[in-house]
Amino acid sequence: MASSSLLISLASCLLFLALSPALASNSEGEALCAFKSRLSDPNNVLQSWDQSLVNPCTWFHVTCDSQNRVIRLDLGNSNITGTLGPELGRLQHLQYLELYRNSFMGKIPEELGNLKNLVSMDLYENQLEGEIPKSLSKLKSLRFMRLNNNKLTGSIPRELVTLSNLKVLDFSNNDLCGTIPVDGPFSTFPPESFENNKRLNGPELLGLASYDFGC
Amino acid sequence: MLYGEIPPTLGNCTSLETLGLAYCRLNGTIPPQLGNLRQLKLLTLQNNSLSGPIPDQLAQCTRIQVISLNDNMLEGEIPSFIGEFSALKTLNLANNYLKGEIPADIGNVRSLNHLYLFGNRLTGNIPYELNQLSQLQILDASSNNLSGPMNISPDHLISLEFLVISSNFLQGEIPKDFCSRNSSLHNLFLAGNQLTGTINGLLSCTSLQSLDLSNNSLTGSIPHAIDQLTELVNLALHNNSLTGPIPHQIGNLTNLEILSLYHNHLTDSIPVEIGKLKRLALLFLYENQMSGTIPEELTNCTSLQEVDFFGNHFSGTIPDQIGNLKNLIVLQLRENDLSGPIPPSLGYCNSLQQLALADNSLTGSLPDTFGFLTELNLITLYNNSLAGDLPRSLLGLKNLSIINLSHNKFSGTVEPLTGSDLLTVFDLTNNSFSGQIPLELFKSRNLSRIRLGHNQLTGPIPSQVGLLHQLVSLDLSDNDLTGEMPLSLSNCKGLTHLLLNGNRLSGYIPSWVFRDLVSLGELDLSSNNFSGDIPKEIGNCSALIKLSLYNNKLTGPIPVEITKLTLLNVLNLQKNKLSGPVPPEIQQCKKLYELRLSENLLTGPIPSELSSLTELQVILDLSYNDLSGQIPDTLGNLLKLERLNLSFNQLQGALPDSLVRLTSLHRLNLSSNLLQGEIPLALSSFPQNSFSGNNLCGVPMGPCSDPPVSKGKHLSKAEVEGIIVAIVLVSAIVCVALMYIMARIWSNWREVSVSTSDCEESNSKRWVGNGDKIQASKYRKLGPTSTRVGSSEEKHSWGSDTSVLRMKNDAAC
Repeated sequence: MASSSLLISLASCLLFLALSPALASNSEGEALCAFKSRLSDPNNVLQSWDQSLVNPCTWFHVTCDSQNRVIRLDLGNSNITGTLGPELGRLQHLQYLELYRNSFMGKIPEELGNLKNLVSMDLYENQLEGEIPKSLSKLKSLRFMRLNNNKLTGSIPRELVTLSNLKVLDFSNNDLCGTIPVDGPFSTFPPESFENNKRLNGPELLGLASYDFGC
Repeated sequence: MLYGEIPPTLGNCTSLETLGLAYCRLNGTIPPQLGNLRQLKLLTLQNNSLSGPIPDQLAQCTRIQVISLNDNMLEGEIPSFIGEFSALKTLNLANNYLKGEIPADIGNVRSLNHLYLFGNRLTGNIPYELNQLSQLQILDASSNNLSGPMNISPDHLISLEFLVISSNFLQGEIPKDFCSRNSSLHNLFLAGNQLTGTINGLLSCTSLQSLDLSNNSLTGSIPHAIDQLTELVNLALHNNSLTGPIPHQIGNLTNLEILSLYHNHLTDSIPVEIGKLKRLALLFLYENQMSGTIPEELTNCTSLQEVDFFGNHFSGTIPDQIGNLKNLIVLQLRENDLSGPIPPSLGYCNSLQQLALADNSLTGSLPDTFGFLTELNLITLYNNSLAGDLPRSLLGLKNLSIINLSHNKFSGTVEPLTGSDLLTVFDLTNNSFSGQIPLELFKSRNLSRIRLGHNQLTGPIPSQVGLLHQLVSLDLSDNDLTGEMPLSLSNCKGLTHLLLNGNRLSGYIPSWVFRDLVSLGELDLSSNNFSGDIPKEIGNCSALIKLSLYNNKLTGPIPVEITKLTLLNVLNLQKNKLSGPVPPEIQQCKKLYELRLSENLLTGPIPSELSSLTELQVILDLSYNDLSGQIPDTLGNLLKLERLNLSFNQLQGALPDSLVRLTSLHRLNLSSNLLQGEIPLALSSFPQNSFSGNNLCGVPMGPCSDPPVSKGKHLSKAEVEGIIVAIVLVSAIVCVALMYIMARIWSNWREVSVSTSDCEESNSKRWVGNGDKIQASKYRKLGPTSTRVGSSEEKHSWGSDTSVLRMKNDAAC
């Protein structure tokens, strides 16, 4: 009797040996599967995400370039609930991250700053909270950054003024605080990009108010 | 089998020494009356459906030796009275719903041999008092929520053989000199915790046979003195952050059967001493940063069954003598930098079931000897530079299920790969295979994926494809296939991907495609010779996400039914002969991010409803059609649009102001239309060829002939009125003055010559006529900009001859 339960516990401990890694998929497919595991997907839009395939390029809502590297993730408006995870930062070649109009919760992972080819970050109309990570200032290719209509808090990271390619930015309808940067691409964004953040205090007045004034 | 509740009356059997009701279907709670069984030595109720708490009354069973309540649904906490059971040898509470902390009092049960607590919801630290259990041989508290440091010390637990605390939240480092010199610890499982630091503290556990520290956060290198653990059979250190090389002393662990080091940061090459591990069966080094060549000595490890080096930087060739590994079942070398040919001896590994050499730089052709790999069910060689014809001997591989030779340079016929009728995945994408698609392929009725794209296959699509009812994906793109789509394909109702683009297929696009293949998510028939109309049945394929019919000879209208495809992300109908309007109902395809209708014969206006497609992002391409009318003002709603191409149409009028809201736009082509007026300032950063071939003016094109009319917009109503009054007054004065002067001249002329009177009449007619002409040409030039702006023209046209002439005419009337 004792030995039978011993066997059970040994079996559970040695479970790792049963998992044959011979079909270990590529890292982008793994990252996407790790992401999928966080999500509730009542509409089954992720049904085609089959990790046994050699790469994720035939999955729906995933687009690859000619070298089978993931460049688009299109899950906008898909009735998905869940969180964003650090694994998204492993999609090294991603250009378009389109996760808008869902129910993504939790924080924006700082690992998204590793997406050095990212052109468009569309996370608008979700339930994201926490601060905008400073690491997003590493996204030197970024042209579009739409984080509007979430529950983001904290001040706008000053590091974002170094995103010289940024053309469109929308932080409206959040709970951001402090002042709005005026340098770099921020000199071109209209006030509408920042509206409905109750504690955001207008453009920064250099020397007069600190960037996190009112936070 | 017994079922129902345990009768409380059992408590009356006060002489009972053994109560064994295990493996039944008992439910309900453990009756407190069992506490009356004062003589009880054995209580075994495991594997039932008992619920509720462990009753306090059991505290009276002080002679108990064995308690097995595992695999029930017991709740509540572990009662601390267990600490008073001085004869207890075995306590098994595993796999229940017990919560709370492990009571420190258990440390008083000095007789305890076996303690099983795994699979509960226990929290808190492991009580240090457990170290008093000098008789304890087995402690298994895995799969709980225990936290804190590794309080257990085999240094004190001198009888301990099995210590299993995997899958908890233990933190901190493994204590230095974890085991005493006389330790009898055989098995140590601490996998799936949050342990940090190095593994050096375990080198004192010289009796260890199995060590599993996987899935922690351990750092440092594998110590050279690892060979102190001479008894070691299983060593699992995977999923940590170990660095440095595998020490050559590993070769002294001659009992080793399992070595699992995957997913660490190990570097350097495999020590040649690995060849001394004659019993080694599993060698997992995948996902490290190891390099160097795979040592020939590895082929001395003749017990090897599974070798996985995936995702390292191993270079050089695959060892020539790999064929010595007669027991090898899995060889996974994917994603390394291996080069050279595949050694023919590999064909002698005749136990091999899975062979994965993909993502390397292998060259040469497949050896004939591969025909001996009769057990093989998976072969993946994609992304290499393998070439040549496939050996006929491959026809002998009757167990193959998954074949992926994609992205190589193989040539000749694919027929040698069709020996098995168990195929499920057949991927030969991007090679130089030629000949026809062999009919033998369709013997494998369980095929779910056929991918033969980017080859030089000829002939028709065999109608036997319709036998494959499991087919999910059929990719025959970019070959030289001819003929029509076989009707039998309509049997493949589970198809989600159908890619036939880039062939010479002809005939109509059959309506059954859309009637029967309703699971299709991607359909690409582009670059073929398909003709006729797009079937109206297209609306049935409501799962379509990507639809491309680009570059065919399709005629007729865009069927309005296409607008039922509400999941479409990409619609490409470019380069056909489609006519009629762009259906306004396309606004229902709300998820479109790419829409290409260019190079057709489309007519009518650009529907303003396009503005509902607010997800349009990659491109909206309507170029090279016969679209007319104005650019709808609503197009400015496409806030995410990055490319807009409306060139080579008959579009007229001015650019709508709303276009300046297209802030995401970075490519714009409006060239070769009939557009007029001034380019809004916000669009002036686009190059000239964005606008050329129109009558547009302003930056980046030439200046508008007027002073910029847009300034007028900033004038207040009062100012405008003032200016108008001034203009009218001045014009009137000028007219009066002119008339006076003319009258004088006229009378002078009459005085000088009487014979010129005819000329004067025609002269004055010509003036008026000229005036009309100039006026008309001016309107053509300025177009609606000036008309739209209205009164501003009068304001700023002081120097303009047209207005003066008109004023003059007015005044003259």
